[in-house]
Amino acid sequence: MQKLKMNKNIDIAIIGVGSTSFGDLFQYSYDDLVREAGEMAMKDAGITADELQAAWLSTAFPEIGVFKGRSGMDLAEPLGIFGIPVTRVSNFCASGADSIRNAVNALKAGDCDVAMALGVEKLRDRSPQDSIVKMMVELSHPFYQKGFTAAGTFAVYANRMMHEYGVSREDIASVSVKNHFHGSMNEKAHYRSSCTLEQVISSPMVADPLTLMDSCPTTDGAACVILVRAEDVDKNKHKPIYIDGIGLSISTGWDLPFFDSNHKFLSFQATKDAAAIAYQQAGITKPAEELDLVEVHDCFSIVELLTYEDLGLCKIGEAKDMIRGKATQLGGEIPVNVSGGLLSCGHPVGATGVRMVVEVASHLRGQAGERQVTGAKRGLTHNIGGPGAIASVIILNNEH
Amino acid sequence: MSEIIKYDVAFPEFRMSGQVLHPKGRNKSQQTVCYTDEDLITLSFSACSSILNEGHVPDAILFATSSPVFKDRYHASFLADLIGLKQGILALDIISTARAGSDALLLADKLIGSGHYKHILLVAAHVDFPPQGDEYLYSSGHAAVAMIISAEKGLAEIVNTQSFSSSMAEDFYYKGEKTVYDPRFSRGTGFKTNMQEAWKKTDPKADQTKQLIINSPYARMVLGMIKKSGFDTDNQVFKDSIKNKVGHTGACHALLLMISAMENLKGSVLLFDYMNGTNVIQFNINEAPSIAMLSDLTFTELDSYQDYLKLRKQGDFTDVSYRSEDMFSSEMLMEREKDQLLYLKGQECKSCKSVFLLKTTRCHHCHGNEFKEKKLAQTGTVYTLTAEHYFPSSFPPVNMVVIDLDGGGRVTVQQTDDMYPSEENLIKIGDAVKLVYRSMMEKDRKPNYFWKCKKINAKIKNE
Repeated sequence: MQKLKMNKNIDIAIIGVGSTSFGDLFQYSYDDLVREAGEMAMKDAGITADELQAAWLSTAFPEIGVFKGRSGMDLAEPLGIFGIPVTRVSNFCASGADSIRNAVNALKAGDCDVAMALGVEKLRDRSPQDSIVKMMVELSHPFYQKGFTAAGTFAVYANRMMHEYGVSREDIASVSVKNHFHGSMNEKAHYRSSCTLEQVISSPMVADPLTLMDSCPTTDGAACVILVRAEDVDKNKHKPIYIDGIGLSISTGWDLPFFDSNHKFLSFQATKDAAAIAYQQAGITKPAEELDLVEVHDCFSIVELLTYEDLGLCKIGEAKDMIRGKATQLGGEIPVNVSGGLLSCGHPVGATGVRMVVEVASHLRGQAGERQVTGAKRGLTHNIGGPGAIASVIILNNEH
Repeated sequence: MSEIIKYDVAFPEFRMSGQVLHPKGRNKSQQTVCYTDEDLITLSFSACSSILNEGHVPDAILFATSSPVFKDRYHASFLADLIGLKQGILALDIISTARAGSDALLLADKLIGSGHYKHILLVAAHVDFPPQGDEYLYSSGHAAVAMIISAEKGLAEIVNTQSFSSSMAEDFYYKGEKTVYDPRFSRGTGFKTNMQEAWKKTDPKADQTKQLIINSPYARMVLGMIKKSGFDTDNQVFKDSIKNKVGHTGACHALLLMISAMENLKGSVLLFDYMNGTNVIQFNINEAPSIAMLSDLTFTELDSYQDYLKLRKQGDFTDVSYRSEDMFSSEMLMEREKDQLLYLKGQECKSCKSVFLLKTTRCHHCHGNEFKEKKLAQTGTVYTLTAEHYFPSSFPPVNMVVIDLDGGGRVTVQQTDDMYPSEENLIKIGDAVKLVYRSMMEKDRKPNYFWKCKKINAKIKNE
């Protein structure tokens, strides 16, 4: 595999971040969400719309939302930014991270000096049965994997993990309990209540063994970052966060694991590959020691456990020990999803990857309030999409 | 002259007794009932599959039914494609009455006799739902039969075939409306007169005939005539043991009676198959088949009329509020991908032996680019699975099963025939399963068929 090496001479900094609240935002249109996140990030960066030279818009599923986000135009119009290139990015759940990756690459190539990456998704105008479930029933391949919902495509991993590694139902549910506890401290999360193990296990079954509370909701929301080359950072004006590494990898495909016996449903190769790229760029060899906090793509609770192993935060088969030992809880050795994760924040698909970067940046700036990871210097964000097909890993640092 | 060299039968998993239908219904009366994803085509496919696997590639296919699902389209051609027969062969539908099964056999015999055909695949199927509420008055069992008729030596030799037409039908449909004549008139003028003519012209000899099969609900009307010809009606008239087990199976029924005879007798048998005319088929049973398929039929009994209604209405979706749409483009997609989707032809990497069902030009594991075709097995072991509670179905949850096939390759499919969860159909990691071909989406108006799976257990034999 080709491993891209980030040129240290052209490091990239995030100088502005912004995010809307996530949730049932019936009072906000798609355009309202774009405006709020975009303007918040530009204000944070201390720039005006006139200074932007390029932008990337991440929306994954216009057709199951409000039919907005099919081109870069849907970022340009609400923000009134015209005359510059704006590109729409769609790459399943890694769309947000990929919009940032595209902005980073354009800055490095010298194609622009100030770039915006904005992720937005508006899913709640339709019920989940009319959006996500409908997509799986009607818009996916008529035969391959027909019968699955999104939850089911990850539940098959859960059952194999339980069979192979002795992961218990309680271990899986504990992820939800932990993340909902974290979410109770996040004023922008979709769900802001703690819950008990029993509540998770006894909530309605979605795809065995995953229940409703093992599953993230569909959500409305937007998040935005403004990026420049590190050399252009004005330390008097900005509180920059540096990008140490970005990895994006498509490693299996949507259908392949379900039609090729070599796939063991015990890990996501895409995460391993994306992490390898990002770790190499960032010079990370012992992630558990070198990272202070991690945001992983807990669309379903089982995914967080799988990701501990795929990111190398623990050895293979030991994810259950991490959750049992509370190593990933706020205050633990390596806090994971202190935002509340997708389980609490919800999952506006195109926005999630950007939201995670905004979250980690707030910790690295020391602005995360009640859920602040003390002394956080380096953090990681992770997305996985299309049941394991595509993953992104971004490593952020508050030092340069 | 031709021979029946192979046959197979297919019945649905589910059956209901007369008592489930109506308080007046008899418990002894049983009818097999298709599952929500079964129909004339899937039952026919199931009956054809195993006899084709062993060779004898047919050069013609005849399809017989009185309950067609297509109009302006040949069932025989559709089925020929499903089972992988080459395009452009003789494919005919014989669709009118329940006599269609023996009509097709008669025609097959003549075609083989002409010397133009070597092996003819004969398929008969019956899937008919009587008017709702009146089911207990009918006995409509769902079934399919497949036979290979050949010039080669086989299980039974067809010695003579004759057909005697009649203009008189006891009840029939005219322009969609049911017409019933007074039975005192119609059965005498229709059945009895026609049978007498057939009997007279074929002139059967009691000492040269082992058994007579009279396939008609009015058979007893001609017992006197048979007795007069010197037959021992107590011992020489074949007992229909099929109807009580599965119901009257329309176009399949005469063929099922022949199979039943083949599994139990040797020697000369004469079939009189009546329905608006009589077919007379004289056949000699050479040897008993290695497996007696009709002797050990097992079914899952339906609990209630409500469950039966769910099966016949193709699901009411009461459990999940969801409006189903026709599946997009599936016919085009199936046409261009049927090597993989239908015939399960995978690719095996020549260097690392990885098997891919989905087409690729580069091995995902060793990056080799040379492959050989590999036909995947229809049995395998469960690798992992889940029960989907939110996918629309009349019988949620939909169990999704990832299966590593015997000999290599993997598929992921739905479990079927599992409306009553039990120990026998509870699938776990490591269980043995087999693939079955079923309709994919409930309420879908287009024919959309794909593989599903069933657990293999002690109850399912010889498959």
